[in-house]
Amino acid sequence: MWSLQHILVYLAVAAAVAYLVKKYFLKPKSKKERTCGMDDCGCH
Amino acid sequence: MIDLTISTIQETINSLRPGEKGIIGNFAVEKIPLKLQEMGCLPGNEVQLIQLAPFRDPLFLNINGNNLAIRRETADLIEITKVL
Amino acid sequence: MGKQLKVSLIGNPNTGKTSLFNLLTGLNQQVGNYPGITVEKKEGTCRLPGGGKAHILDLPGTYSLNASSADEQLVVESLLRKEQPDFPDLAVVVADVENLKRNLILFTQIKDLKIPAILVINMADQMERRGISLDVELLEKKLNTRVVLMSARKKTGIDELKKQIEDYQQLPVSPCLSVSELDATYFERLQKAFPEEDLYRLWLCVSQDVALKKIDESLLKANEYSERNTPEIKRLQQKETIARYLYINRFLNNAYQVDRTKATDWRSVLDRILTHRIGGYAIFFLIMLLMFQAIYNWSSIPMDFIDQSFAHLSEWTNNHLPEGPFTSLLAEGILPGIGGVVIFVPQIAFLFLFISLLEESGYMSRIVFLMDRLMRRFGLSGKSVVPLISGTACAIPAVMATRNIENWKERMITILVTPFITCSARLPVYLIIIALVIPDQTFVGFNLQGLTLMGLYVLGFGMAVLSAFVLDKIIKNKAHTTFVVEMPAYKVPMAKNVLYTVLEKTKSFVLVAGKIILAISIVLWFLASNGYSDDFYQAEEIVRAQPENTMLSEQEMQTAVASYQLQHSYIGIIGHAIEPVIRPLGYDWKIGIALVTSFAAREVFVGTLATIYSVGSEEEETIKERMSSDVNIRTGKKLFDFPTGISLLLFYAFALQCMSTLAIVKKETNSWKWPFIQLVLMSGFAYLVALGAYQVLT
Repeated sequence: MWSLQHILVYLAVAAAVAYLVKKYFLKPKSKKERTCGMDDCGCH
Repeated sequence: MIDLTISTIQETINSLRPGEKGIIGNFAVEKIPLKLQEMGCLPGNEVQLIQLAPFRDPLFLNINGNNLAIRRETADLIEITKVL
Repeated sequence: MGKQLKVSLIGNPNTGKTSLFNLLTGLNQQVGNYPGITVEKKEGTCRLPGGGKAHILDLPGTYSLNASSADEQLVVESLLRKEQPDFPDLAVVVADVENLKRNLILFTQIKDLKIPAILVINMADQMERRGISLDVELLEKKLNTRVVLMSARKKTGIDELKKQIEDYQQLPVSPCLSVSELDATYFERLQKAFPEEDLYRLWLCVSQDVALKKIDESLLKANEYSERNTPEIKRLQQKETIARYLYINRFLNNAYQVDRTKATDWRSVLDRILTHRIGGYAIFFLIMLLMFQAIYNWSSIPMDFIDQSFAHLSEWTNNHLPEGPFTSLLAEGILPGIGGVVIFVPQIAFLFLFISLLEESGYMSRIVFLMDRLMRRFGLSGKSVVPLISGTACAIPAVMATRNIENWKERMITILVTPFITCSARLPVYLIIIALVIPDQTFVGFNLQGLTLMGLYVLGFGMAVLSAFVLDKIIKNKAHTTFVVEMPAYKVPMAKNVLYTVLEKTKSFVLVAGKIILAISIVLWFLASNGYSDDFYQAEEIVRAQPENTMLSEQEMQTAVASYQLQHSYIGIIGHAIEPVIRPLGYDWKIGIALVTSFAAREVFVGTLATIYSVGSEEEETIKERMSSDVNIRTGKKLFDFPTGISLLLFYAFALQCMSTLAIVKKETNSWKWPFIQLVLMSGFAYLVALGAYQVLT
């Protein structure tokens, strides 16, 4: 039952979750003395 | 060409009418932002009132060739002698 | 080749610094990812005639090295920090030929820092029209530098500048002015306290209104040398300014002449009209009206096209790829998700087009002038208008644009109320709901949908002003500062600058917002196509077994099964859990899910609904059509009817649903207190208003 399509779906979902977690929960750690403009300042 | 007849009451930028010019006199240095001075608002320079917003505030001026706007409260602090 | 030559572009605002930057770097530039106006760091590379490359940094515009705002402070700090990576090898000071005298103040300050500097005199093409004659050789001799006459508009002088940049090592670094002459005893004392340091660098640290932070460590202690803002320092600063003007006048009277009779002044005529006490406001209002009508009307054609194309694409994917969960993910999750972003590109591009036209033409300063008195009644400043207008793009750059408001209280209030302004992220939500509930008819010549949109913008602005009025009564002022705004000469906006702004901002919207929306739509699709209960897995049997469904056609049966399955998926379960809270506002569980995901970014609302409405359906139908035919199970009426639509519009108008805004407000106000208050008050208010509206309308 573990077809290629299933594997792709789980990969996509895992990547999406990882991205969102990184974006919204791990952000404060990396934000130190950085000037805004070098990164996206968390816009969006 | 400096008008001495009305110099009994000290005039400020605020007493200018649109189109009128004056020569900047004294002002309290610590009350006038440095930026304004850097734009040419210094004793001896010429100031012209270009346009007034409603309630005479802010004032659109030409000082020493620069176009800028300041508020009435600031304009009141800068003494001038009108040029006719 | 070794390391790249580092060049900083420095200059007064409105001297065409950004045009020069665009000309030097072309598309080899990176700007911070936020949409909005030049606030922060812009970098790029420029190829030099000799084959080398220069790294160009575009610093924010400043009138002098005496910072009165956070933006200007950044410039001063970058020049007092030899240890940092972007300390320039060479400063290119951009001046405007019409205001040369004032521009030279900044130039002499840079020279006094002993940084090699080239003077670029921009807008040289205007010289003849304005009756200006200039003796470049004399200027070069007196200022002890190289002068490049150029026109960023006509693209002249750029090769000459590149050549000069290449030869920067031949530039003399002698200072123009010696500050110790201003007051021998004061500066002797200062030098004695820090014998190692350069006197002018010391004086810059001591005389700033604020303590500098990101500067060389050896200078940091000079920060505490004396109290700030003392009358003594103010007097010395005035003396310095006068001395600089005297220095400049000594040669400029010979080198620079203006024949006023030659100057044809259509610009002062324009100002008499555009800043008129009655006419000026009428024109301003008209321009705004036009802008929003245009955003709405002009973009409807490309938007419909994009909507259709994505519907076709989804259908094609479903029909031509092998059947399986990944194909469904593509057709029902990813494609509608991306489509939900791409569809707003036309509008966002138009919005940034107008904002950048207002900025470039010089009209924005006139708006500041016209609105100052009015805004002050509400505790704001005329300068708050710029953040409030940029807020129509995105609250983040808008909050950052408040940095040039000198008054702390006015700045704080502006930051707090800016999120009420309708940002481009709200636009997608408004557009889809307006399209669903407001009839497409004209009313006294104006499109009703366009008017509704305009009304929402006015509502956001009104709310911002109203809350500013309340805040004005609550917040106490810290320091007294004054208001000075330059009224730059009107210019025909340069196509290249406008184009770059529009491209850059649109690209960053698509990329940054797009990634999040894509990720969320994948997760949503997964949650919507999976469940744990028997209700989910045996949906087909259960629905077929229900007696009331026996009469359904095969097609209707499919739809019934899909909707039953969706209701019992993970997302359905979460949605139903939220439903009691939002039911009084006229929303069902689907809208509830969209509301929750909106907190990542508002525009996700549309993507979320697009995904939810796509799961399980294979027919080619646009999302709008699906949404409009959806029926609220409880009331039996259309889900997106007039009361629900209005309630949703109001909720989105007032609620603070943007984590990024909260983050930037925290950063700019330096406390969690303000963003927290903002979140609770705005969202609470939004709930109550939406509740009130729905209950009254039904």
